[in-house]
Amino acid sequence: MIRVACVLALIALAILILVAVRLDGATATIFSFIGIPALVAAMGLYVLHRWRTGAFHPTGTSRPSTH
Amino acid sequence: MNAVPAGPLFVSPPVEPAVDWLRALPILVALPAVAILLWGLVRGYLPPALAVAGLVLPAAAYGLGMLMVMEESKDVRFCGSCHVMTPIVESLHATDGSSLAAIHYTRGLVPTGEACYTCHSGYGIWGTFSAKRAGMMHMLRTVTGRYTLPIALNGTFDINSCLGCHAGAESFRAVEAHKDPELQKALLDRTMTCTGACHPAAHPEEALTGGRATS
Repeated sequence: MIRVACVLALIALAILILVAVRLDGATATIFSFIGIPALVAAMGLYVLHRWRTGAFHPTGTSRPSTH
Repeated sequence: MNAVPAGPLFVSPPVEPAVDWLRALPILVALPAVAILLWGLVRGYLPPALAVAGLVLPAAAYGLGMLMVMEESKDVRFCGSCHVMTPIVESLHATDGSSLAAIHYTRGLVPTGEACYTCHSGYGIWGTFSAKRAGMMHMLRTVTGRYTLPIALNGTFDINSCLGCHAGAESFRAVEAHKDPELQKALLDRTMTCTGACHPAAHPEEALTGGRATS
């Protein structure tokens, strides 16, 4: 799950760098409709992964990550 | 189209001889994030400190990126980069006075670098917000092909965009027709627009239908 989150975040960052280098209608559209959702999905996956490993459980004790 | 005179005096907006931080900052923040995420991708694990950085840095880079897009999407070249808008932006250079936009653009009555944004956004923070929201819908419609030619303004044009500059101008106040109470009421009620009856159309018809405007 961490690897999928990293890939999604890397895709989002690649799009961001593309937009910063060459901003036009096409790259802005990709930024808005692919980059932002990819980043949100990556962050959501990471939070889900942390939640599944016990990071947000009320006891405050998190199980060690299984990698 | 007229030949564009060469030289730094004719560049608009003037080029600042400095680093474009608006574009550089998102990249500078994104690069360490890329390194961390590549490390996480290879190892399949991120230590807590790196994980926090891997969350915060991409989010910060995107925040800066959004600021950059918000600011630089005001540029006329950005507006003209979508195929449907290209003829409209090209028609701005017409010097025959056939469209209100071209009259404003060629006479320098609006900032030439941000001519589209100047007239198509309202005043204040909500004007900017509305313009950006409309821009998002334009992108969505372009991607999905959900638009018809000739393209038309969604709703009525906000006359306050005209009055923001013209209302206080002596030349505007001196026109007899502008003093007519009935005309003033009709304009402010949005039952009448500046273009059509009195002033040329905002953009030439052939540009709105995707063709090339003649100059």
